[in-house]
Amino acid sequence: MTARSPDWGFAGELEDISGQMAIVGVGDAIYQRASGRNATEIALDAIERAIADAGLRPEQIDGLMQSPFMGDTLSADAYRDHFGTKQEIWMSTEGGAMTWAATAPIAAARAIREGRARHVVNLFAVDWFSQKVAGGDGPGRYHRDERMKANFEVPFGWFPQPVYFATIARRHMWEYGTKAEDLGAIAVSCREHATRHPDAITRDRPLTLEQYLARPMMVDPLRMEDCCLISDGGGATILTSVERARDLPKPPVVVAGVAEGYSGSGAYWSQQADFTATPQVFSAPLAFAQAGITAQDVDVLTLYDPFSIVALMQIEDMGFCAKGEAGPFVSGDRLRFDTPGLAYNTHGGLLSHAYVLGIAHVNELVRQLRGEAACQVADCEIGVYGGYTGHMASTLVLRRDR
Amino acid sequence: MAAPLPELDWPLTRPFWDAARKGRLVMPRCEDCARHVWYPEERCPDCRGERISWVDVSGRGRLFSWAEVKHLLHPPYEGQIPYVSGLVTLEEDPRIRYVTRIVDCDPADLSIDLPMEVVFRTLTFRGVAGGVRAPVFRPARTPARS
Ligand SMILES: [Zn+2]
Repeated sequence: MTARSPDWGFAGELEDISGQMAIVGVGDAIYQRASGRNATEIALDAIERAIADAGLRPEQIDGLMQSPFMGDTLSADAYRDHFGTKQEIWMSTEGGAMTWAATAPIAAARAIREGRARHVVNLFAVDWFSQKVAGGDGPGRYHRDERMKANFEVPFGWFPQPVYFATIARRHMWEYGTKAEDLGAIAVSCREHATRHPDAITRDRPLTLEQYLARPMMVDPLRMEDCCLISDGGGATILTSVERARDLPKPPVVVAGVAEGYSGSGAYWSQQADFTATPQVFSAPLAFAQAGITAQDVDVLTLYDPFSIVALMQIEDMGFCAKGEAGPFVSGDRLRFDTPGLAYNTHGGLLSHAYVLGIAHVNELVRQLRGEAACQVADCEIGVYGGYTGHMASTLVLRRDR
Repeated sequence: MAAPLPELDWPLTRPFWDAARKGRLVMPRCEDCARHVWYPEERCPDCRGERISWVDVSGRGRLFSWAEVKHLLHPPYEGQIPYVSGLVTLEEDPRIRYVTRIVDCDPADLSIDLPMEVVFRTLTFRGVAGGVRAPVFRPARTPARS
């Protein structure tokens, strides 16, 4: 039987930069509650830690990447003022978190090749918990303010994001026999890892599958434990060329594959042609091919996991199991860092670590590949991050330097 | 109108709300290729035709999926919890997934593919003046045509 590629989306045409770039520094700034710090201050905390981790000096950073929708978190002037430096800084909004946490190395590689930068920080930071405490808007506003959603979804109560993903989860359960226990296995594995992680917001709140199943529904069939946290926090990742990376103190982590996939059904969750799949279908195979790996070679996987069902779908769509079989695949202890199976979100993910939209997922992979992680996977050589935002997905393959 | 009420004067979507006020469910359809265009767009996503007209649809469909909201997540929904919101595919073209409230039912009786029918209700929100007449769906009481 020949596998037929689905027709509802496509892979982005990205340059293959496998083997050119490395991650040399990572820094997180995660806060247990409202930090009282704004996103810029949080970003600078994360960058300071990443620079120290890389063994660099602040004046050596000459590239700064942020997300397309929060590209004003940190200006070049604010960077120079904070660190008392004078260098030129190449700026880009092709980075940040979500899908861009995976694809940022491509623009960074171009800038480095063209001589515009040598050490590039990819950055993401939010102060959404402090905003919420202050009575302000959280991340839901990006959806509420979208005009078609405001007119044809919000009036009917199909808002905010937990409602989208409860509807998707219900359909996935009907199509594939997915059970509450399967969603629970995702939530419980994230929490298990978070309780061992010094930064994780839920480190003091263990969760068993029995406890999960006893929790009330928030948006049926999702419980609170299926949904991401809201937090203050951020992360910074320092990218440079593999050659330069080998002169720095920490072992380089090499970018071995980067790809992205798109749905052809537009940006609305309600209108996706394949309602229970993600564009990882188009992205992951390309990134794995660049890296010369298959899903079976992956030692640690971190997935952008705003909801448990998003992780479950990506595990299927990236080929870790057949479509519809993620339930059996994730059951029991199979996602734990120290059991046979697939080590998954070993820092706790968006569900249990912090809601920093994927930047900490990449930093966690780097620590795993260096052997520095709190929940260290034995003999960890290949790490994969899956990014997602509705009509887009992305895949980043990282490996230890050879 | 103030959110979360829809804009009744947006030219792209105004015929929908004008019809709803009169108890009719209408959908945009491409005059060139007869495809329904949902959500509304200026051009047909299939043939790029610009002649799009609003046509009456039967108001019958099937439940594609749903969520039962048991926890207040958005302040204007206060007083409505619990409620059911979901997607109904329309008989005329199952590719149309209409986001709607699911009313007049015990959520335990819902199932995917359940025949549904349109009813019209006035949507109002705590702290927001006014309301809007809107098509919502309930489990069908008249047998669906197959
Ligand atoms: Zn057409």
